[in-house]
Amino acid sequence: MGFIISYSSFRYYFAVIAGNTVSFILRKILKSSASAMPGKVAMTIYPDILKLVNERCHNKILITGTNGKTTTNNLLNFIFRREFPSVLSNLRGANMPQGLVSAFLHDRKKEYDWGIFEVDEGSFQKVTENIKPDYVLVTNFFRDQLDRYGEIEKAFQDILKALEPLNTTLILNADDPLVSNFRKLNKKNIYYGVTSNQYSTNQQGIVESRFCPACSSYLEYDYYNYGQLGGYQCPDCGFKNPPYDYSITGIDYQDHQYHFRFLEKDHNSQDITFPYEGIYNAYNCCAAITVALEIGLPMDRVACSIEEFEYHLGRMENFQFPDKIVKIALVKNPIGLTETISSISLDERSKSMLFVLNDNPADGRDVSWIWDAEVEKTVNIKNINQIFCSGRRAEDIALRLKYAGVPDELVEVDDDMDHAIGKVLKEKVEIIYLLPTYTAVFQARELVLANLTGTSKKMSHFREYLKNFKISR
Amino acid sequence: MELKIYHMYPDLLNLYGDLGNVTCLRQRCQWRGIHVEVVGFSMNHEAPLNEGDLFFIGGGSDRGQNIVYSHLLNYRKLMGDLIEDGAPVLAICGGYQLLGEKYIDAEGNDVPGLGIFDYHTRSEEGRLIGNIIIKNSLGLSPETLVGFENHGGRTYHDHKPLGEVVVGYGNNGKDNQEGMVYQNCIGTYLHGPLLPKNPHLADHLILKALERKYGLKELPSLHDEGEYSAHNKVLKLYSP
Ligand SMILES: [Zn+2]
Repeated sequence: MGFIISYSSFRYYFAVIAGNTVSFILRKILKSSASAMPGKVAMTIYPDILKLVNERCHNKILITGTNGKTTTNNLLNFIFRREFPSVLSNLRGANMPQGLVSAFLHDRKKEYDWGIFEVDEGSFQKVTENIKPDYVLVTNFFRDQLDRYGEIEKAFQDILKALEPLNTTLILNADDPLVSNFRKLNKKNIYYGVTSNQYSTNQQGIVESRFCPACSSYLEYDYYNYGQLGGYQCPDCGFKNPPYDYSITGIDYQDHQYHFRFLEKDHNSQDITFPYEGIYNAYNCCAAITVALEIGLPMDRVACSIEEFEYHLGRMENFQFPDKIVKIALVKNPIGLTETISSISLDERSKSMLFVLNDNPADGRDVSWIWDAEVEKTVNIKNINQIFCSGRRAEDIALRLKYAGVPDELVEVDDDMDHAIGKVLKEKVEIIYLLPTYTAVFQARELVLANLTGTSKKMSHFREYLKNFKISR
Repeated sequence: MELKIYHMYPDLLNLYGDLGNVTCLRQRCQWRGIHVEVVGFSMNHEAPLNEGDLFFIGGGSDRGQNIVYSHLLNYRKLMGDLIEDGAPVLAICGGYQLLGEKYIDAEGNDVPGLGIFDYHTRSEEGRLIGNIIIKNSLGLSPETLVGFENHGGRTYHDHKPLGEVVVGYGNNGKDNQEGMVYQNCIGTYLHGPLLPKNPHLADHLILKALERKYGLKELPSLHDEGEYSAHNKVLKLYSP
């Protein structure tokens, strides 16, 4: 017995050492930010390491769905880390089992108040075999660029099966019929959503499923907020949005910020300002506030955290240059790209843009998803000076813009990202939007930081730059 | 001049950016001053098929394809007559499979197709996914067509193929052939979407439609630098 325990703990320590060694090599020598690899190595040596993570976290939240996982996770962490001394989380978006383990290796403690993890839809079953969540938050189901036939339905069924045996509370997006369909599990359900507002439309854009999840009839919509998220009902079986426990209402966009009112079921309300664009971010905020209030945090402190939230790591990150702002927003699927373009069209400032379209395996080798996005909305963007197209498939995004009706003279193609970023940063405009696909995000961010520190050494990001890149330069 | 483009079941068959083919056809007509109406033909929006000048059929989820099959079966004869009469049709992936006799699924069950053509498709182990380059059999210049394929079904037939595979899998990954051509009906596995990066094929379809309707023999050319630089980028990245 003693031998077994010591053998097992030997394997554990060996796994930790091996994982951390890999992490060190990746970061310092190969200069790679691939954050799942250390976890992968540790799991090979000590397969039960996720169970250990489960034991060490007193409370656990899993976040799954297609879009908004990383942002919601970052929001929740921003709120929770002000309230609890130790929170473990995979904030960098490595959301498969090995990514969770990497996060643990990076921030190893005997115990944590909370474990908050975003989990890839495809890994949900594997993760819940080891991690037993107190709360599961499901954001939405959209098609990713690497869609396979029936992928969304399969993701739903897999998650349904994994949720069935769990003793957990579900936090569900009431406005997505595919998500609210988890109601049929009869768990404790908490619903959140965004009411009809001035940015809602009657027009169906990209909608992932027009069928009623309960009976397969055509769903009818009163309004759409974002993809198939909106006010829906089934004419045949009556399936419709469940009543909200928490909701966002009265959204208004002014001075480059979103203003809205957050409503609790008992009609307590709070006005909140959120400094990032997009209806999708209203949903992310709504999800994060819902979880925070549900665990008993006070509304005023949660609201304060939301207003002070600062985003990192390229999911809508802001960089303040002396003469302009640079924003980086990851684009990875049709709905996300459509919504990003819509939100840029609300910005009146003079601007230039850079798309970076790569077709590496992590981006999705098939770039055709850009044709499923409503790139036509680019023509609504005001005060635009130039649109640069870069990445391995720069010509594809330029062609998409051409067929979307964007005038040729606005578009410049340069498939060398270093050059293209150098050019766009020299634009004499108030704001620059960089829209890279997954494998370009980290590199784009690094190049922007390098330019920033080259411009002014007083910038606040300089210290972070040094911390991250001292050895690699 | 005026063309009616029928986009078949846009609400059910809409995978992998195939919508871009319709966008491309519409724009290339409009840039030439040809008036275009795009008709979304579907279960709750039926329209007289014989008024269509050009037809596009994409692929969809299994559920979507089953619904389409049972609905389109009512129009089987009309569709067959239109093809026989030389109406240009572009059918991609699921749409291509649907025009054949049957699809044999992973369990060995026969899923019927419209049977306008006598080919069949069989589900076999592993999906055929990746960039694809073929040499077209239509005599179009340039010779290459580029796209992205993603299919589990293998299609077998003795019809004239759309082209010979240079890189990728094509109909079945075995006989080196891609797609099918009969009159002006083209079946193919090429997404990407197909037409924007292959403007010569887009214009071939438009010209066939105008020829059938107005007897036109030639199309005014367009500035296709953007189209061909995207086409050539695929050749540069993925040619052997
Ligand atoms: Zn129903």
